[in-house]
Amino acid sequence: MFGYVRPVREELKCKDFDRYRATYCGLCGTLRQRYGWIAPMFLNFDFTFLALLLCKGETQFPVCRGRCHANPFLKKTMCASNEALVAAADESVILTYWQLKDKVQDSSVWKGIPYRVLCLLLYTAYRKAARQRQAFDLLVQKQLQSLAQLEGENCQSLDRAADTFAVLLQGAAIPREDVGEERAMKELLYHLGRWIYLIDALDDFKQDQKEGNYNPIQQRFSGEPHQEQMAVTLNHSLNLMCSAAQLIDFGCRWAIIENILYLGLPLVQKAVLDGTYQQVKKQKIWRSNL
Amino acid sequence: MRDPYSVLGVSSNATDQEIKRAYRELARKYHPDNYANNPLADLAEEKMKEINEAYETIQKQRSGGGGGSYQQSSGGGYGYQQSGQQYGGSGNPTYSRVRNMIQMGDLNGAEQLLREVPQKNGEWYFLMGSIAYRRGWLDEAMQNYNLAVQMDPNNLEYRQALAMMQRGGQAYRPYGGGGMDSLDCCTTMLCLNCLCNGCG
Repeated sequence: MFGYVRPVREELKCKDFDRYRATYCGLCGTLRQRYGWIAPMFLNFDFTFLALLLCKGETQFPVCRGRCHANPFLKKTMCASNEALVAAADESVILTYWQLKDKVQDSSVWKGIPYRVLCLLLYTAYRKAARQRQAFDLLVQKQLQSLAQLEGENCQSLDRAADTFAVLLQGAAIPREDVGEERAMKELLYHLGRWIYLIDALDDFKQDQKEGNYNPIQQRFSGEPHQEQMAVTLNHSLNLMCSAAQLIDFGCRWAIIENILYLGLPLVQKAVLDGTYQQVKKQKIWRSNL
Repeated sequence: MRDPYSVLGVSSNATDQEIKRAYRELARKYHPDNYANNPLADLAEEKMKEINEAYETIQKQRSGGGGGSYQQSSGGGYGYQQSGQQYGGSGNPTYSRVRNMIQMGDLNGAEQLLREVPQKNGEWYFLMGSIAYRRGWLDEAMQNYNLAVQMDPNNLEYRQALAMMQRGGQAYRPYGGGGMDSLDCCTTMLCLNCLCNGCG
């Protein structure tokens, strides 16, 4: 995934920001414990959000102290490892590995070398993760394969292309006690995947046009993207995500999830739509008045 | 049965005003308009029922009457009405079968059946749009609804579906809500509703 899913920091309470950071550190620690020192380097905001979503709705945030992976002299407060963090860690390794593989295939021999090296470095971690989560591993392969096929056919439908990634992310759900909540979670993850895919396509639009790569938005609108139509369909996915999230009990993590869904995603969407996102990312300015 | 106060998210010594406010906020959150055509509408309906029951129980307890028995609500709270039934479609038996299959969630079956229909009219595109919508294929749903309205501009059902897509759907917004005019009307309705409840 690509790091589009982030909270708006100014609008978070201090305790919620601490919890967000603790989840990030917890996920990093879990990756380190299970997969050694390479896997944590691929950690990003999207997987942190996935971990937050998958957690059970405890009212008390479970914390522990641990050494920071990036700086071993530092001790940090982190979310105690649990089922959700383990699932998010496994899934992030599998997904990252297959996305790297995909990039190797897409690029030329020379440009593909860095990706090949990364693939090789991640291989042992991937093998272990794939053993733990066979179903998810197979689903990722299947979905990325059908995406590649659609790309080959120059698929004109936004939804069909986005559906591959959406179903992939839907498969990241872990069982919940409440059947209704599980359904709502699947719906939420589906539209999160759809939103991420479309935002990524929109973000890459100019580059794909220049290099002549497949881009679903270019196919759909044959030329310049219709900003308004894209905004409507993206907003609709956001609305469906929010409606689904309201039906799940996230306990103490709700404030962070609410911030990301209602403020973070629309902010990124706005920046991507008006073309300021790349600059924002480069300069690392994340002000709400952007 | 869960404690009615925890359902509304208030403490048991909250004032009537606080309880009313909490109830109103929750009712706004799970309002049927936010889940129109949503595959999760049944879950929201359940939540709404739970909230209404909790609110009624607290009111009965506080007025000294009921003493905590859960009676069937007599239409006091805000509820879901079965709105799917009011449109019958054109009466074409294949289309009504397709409608049923969509309702049951058999989307692939519905699509297959629909593809076998030789002549495409407004309803055909509307149903195709409904299948796409249920799958989460929002862009295709919009295109199909658009065609349905073009072919049959007087049909209210198609026009409503298209209008919903053009708005980009609807969801509850906790942060003051931005640019959603229909909400105002809903809140007014809810306030009226609460006032009526307060009297009764």
